[in-house]
Amino acid sequence: MLRLLTLCMCLSLLSGTPANAAEPVPIVASFSILGDLVHQIGGDRVSVDTLVGPEEDAHVFDPAPRDAARLAAAKLVVINGLGFEGWIDRLIKASGGAPRLVIASVGISSHRALIDGREILDPHAWQDVSNVRIYARNIADALISIDSEGGNVYRANLARFDAYLAALDDEIHAAISAIPSERRKIVTTHDAFGYFALAYGVEMIAPQGVSTEAEASAKDVARIIRQVKSEKIPAVFLENISDPRLAAQIAAESGARIGGKLYSDALSKENAPAGTYIAMMKANIRELTKALMP
Amino acid sequence: MTGFSYLYDLLITPFTDFAFMRRALVGSIALSIGACPIGVFLMLRRMSLVGDAMAHAILPGAALGYLFAGLSLGFMTAGGLIAGFVVALLAGLVTRVTILKEDAALASFYLISLAGGVVLVSLRGSNVDLLHVLFGSVLALDDITLLLLAASTTVSLLALALLFRPLVLECVDPLFLRTVSQSGSVAHFGFLALVVLNLVAGFHALGTLLSVGLMMVPAFAARFWSSTLDCTILTATLIGMISSGVGIVISYHAGTPTGPTIILSAGGLYIFSILFGRRNGLFLRLLPRKHLAA
Amino acid sequence: MIEETPLSSCPWSDAPQPPPPRSRRSIASGKCKNCCIADADVGDGPAYRRVGDHRLDMAGRSGGAPMTNPRTGSIQLNDVTLGYDRHPAVHHISGCFKAGSLTAVIGPNGAGKSTLLKAIAGMLRPLSGTIARASETSRLAYLPQLAELDRDFPISVEDLVGTGFWSKMGPFRRYRREDRLLIDEALEKVGLAGFNKRMLGTLSGGQLQRVLFARLMVQDAEMILIDEPFAAIDTKTVSDLMGLVRHWHGEGRTIIAVLHDMGLVAEFFPDSLLLARECVAWGATSHVLTPDHLAKARSMIEANDPHADECERAA
Repeated sequence: MLRLLTLCMCLSLLSGTPANAAEPVPIVASFSILGDLVHQIGGDRVSVDTLVGPEEDAHVFDPAPRDAARLAAAKLVVINGLGFEGWIDRLIKASGGAPRLVIASVGISSHRALIDGREILDPHAWQDVSNVRIYARNIADALISIDSEGGNVYRANLARFDAYLAALDDEIHAAISAIPSERRKIVTTHDAFGYFALAYGVEMIAPQGVSTEAEASAKDVARIIRQVKSEKIPAVFLENISDPRLAAQIAAESGARIGGKLYSDALSKENAPAGTYIAMMKANIRELTKALMP
Repeated sequence: MTGFSYLYDLLITPFTDFAFMRRALVGSIALSIGACPIGVFLMLRRMSLVGDAMAHAILPGAALGYLFAGLSLGFMTAGGLIAGFVVALLAGLVTRVTILKEDAALASFYLISLAGGVVLVSLRGSNVDLLHVLFGSVLALDDITLLLLAASTTVSLLALALLFRPLVLECVDPLFLRTVSQSGSVAHFGFLALVVLNLVAGFHALGTLLSVGLMMVPAFAARFWSSTLDCTILTATLIGMISSGVGIVISYHAGTPTGPTIILSAGGLYIFSILFGRRNGLFLRLLPRKHLAA
Repeated sequence: MIEETPLSSCPWSDAPQPPPPRSRRSIASGKCKNCCIADADVGDGPAYRRVGDHRLDMAGRSGGAPMTNPRTGSIQLNDVTLGYDRHPAVHHISGCFKAGSLTAVIGPNGAGKSTLLKAIAGMLRPLSGTIARASETSRLAYLPQLAELDRDFPISVEDLVGTGFWSKMGPFRRYRREDRLLIDEALEKVGLAGFNKRMLGTLSGGQLQRVLFARLMVQDAEMILIDEPFAAIDTKTVSDLMGLVRHWHGEGRTIIAVLHDMGLVAEFFPDSLLLARECVAWGATSHVLTPDHLAKARSMIEANDPHADECERAA
């Protein structure tokens, strides 16, 4: 349904006025990772505004009136889709219009996962680099459709970025293969790495649901500790949003290593190691290798 | 012998097998010892809903800590403590100096405080659920948190011992206390400070529900067993400790969230007390019994 | 008995209010005609002498040996106006409660009697005027009306009576054996021997009043203020407790009691203050309790006037 809507919108954009070459096209991206992708493809021709910034939590984002204003002023809105932005419909209504919307995840193969105790569509598709190549293509298409003058720039940027992504994908595959197969499992307090697990063959075990709402039971924690001990899971990872104390407790008792920070839903701020999407994935794989290599 | 070993497996083995279970037990017992006596006084002074109000009142303090130092638990807890003390102080002052009674004074400041906290949080741009970050879980008690609980319990008990007589008199006959001593105010504010201390320590370690619930529900149950103040306090503490143990064990075997299970166990004991309590229990009242000689 | 001799130094009946004394020094030297502490005025009363350890006197001597220098037990009111929110409940009262006197404060409902007692006890600040005790260190015991006590609180009779020791012991000192003996004696005197461990909530109205009187005893104060202690109390308790009051009077304590029962006042109280928001009459009971005075008091009680102007007599 949404895909149809997007297609219609993209077609209607073809009759839009050509943008002034000197002025960058205002784009709004829903969260930091998408913001970076748009920036990579759009370059100087676009100015990107992000609703959920770096190190912020999109699950608990509550739009403010100024966000509606930004949305109204934008030529294009890029969202992830797959139910990630539960608040977007409300925001679009509040901004008083139907802005040109592109869903970045159109065309990927999604799966269902247990998230927050419910079996729903897993929205974190960007954790698989091959999906992000599709994201980039969708974004490029949308940019070209609203700013046909910059078409060549966008296509060039896309090609270059796609090459980086392909290299990144290979790099991750290689790094994982280097880890002995029995050690390719981790415990993390975030249900966000489903696509990563599927694509790269690392098992992700979580002691509690995605958001901080879900309360753990002693039985679950005991189960995880037993599992970590019996299956000799080498590492426990903290997540930059939900409660790290529980993971630390599990690691301490089970003898697993405490891994470093894994970035799941958001980039880090400028000076930290995950300021762009590629940097984020590289940071994650670095931490994984460090924790899992014997 | 099999009956005994079955019971042993049911009740004792979970604690011998897992360190986190032992910590959870120690932590909640420590909280019971510190908080249940305070809960008895809150109940007798008709301030039973104060705990919940306080949970919201500490938000601006936590928000200021967050604005100042980001997601630092130390700063946010300290901020929460200060906010709690300020609200308690202002409420106590208004009660003593104006015509407003205790409940209205406290409600007024906690509402103002909560609203202020929401505004402060929104200043930072995102809407991270601060209170959830601030509040911990009984299953994730690390050494520092256990020390915090032990310290707050010790301070609580010492202060309560010092304030005991003026506090009791202030509850029973405040006018008499005013004629013989100036310590009524000290007792009043000291008591409120103790409430804040126990609550904030409890929130930090164990979450709001567990903290407030463990403070109040055992006190309500104890009312049906003892008629003297000392006995009521001891009974409440005992009930708190038993509920903790029972709740943790049930959560272990049945897989229910631990915090709420502890409170439900306390609730179960409370219902039992209403029905079968030695003092004014329903069952006893319905049973035909001969009256005493004198 | 004092009631035979009208207090010529306090002619309050119809004369205009005499000027109040300006300082405590004039009280002690007896210069002010209105005040009443100079030894010479005492006349027929028992000779007063200083006694050292007044705790010993509590130990059952029915003769009621007086306890301290009478100067310490008197209370002086200087043009006192009391009220809430600028509406006066009590207007321009001046006078003196003699040391060792037994005064009943009487008047219609709304006359300001409780308000006056509260102010003397230090619970209420005067809107104007001053209330002075001859000695700041002398103890004052105040028994308010029953409503203020939380009867559901789980406290025993013994502990409640024990709180009377506060002025001596403060909040931390443990009870000693002598203290417990004193509590036992006080309970016995009020007819509640053996009630030590009973809980507050199990007592009847009369029993609770006895417990509060026991606490008054334990407080061992030079000045005792009692506000309507006998409302809804059985006659046996009333007579027992009045016996106690007379015993205290014999010990030389200053006692002021708000009462509604005129019969009780006429029978037991040498002095009375008839209040109807202002002082109607103050002096020997036989002179105060006349039909004229009583009628005047009733007519003086009117509703609070929300449009009242500022009082011309305000200082």
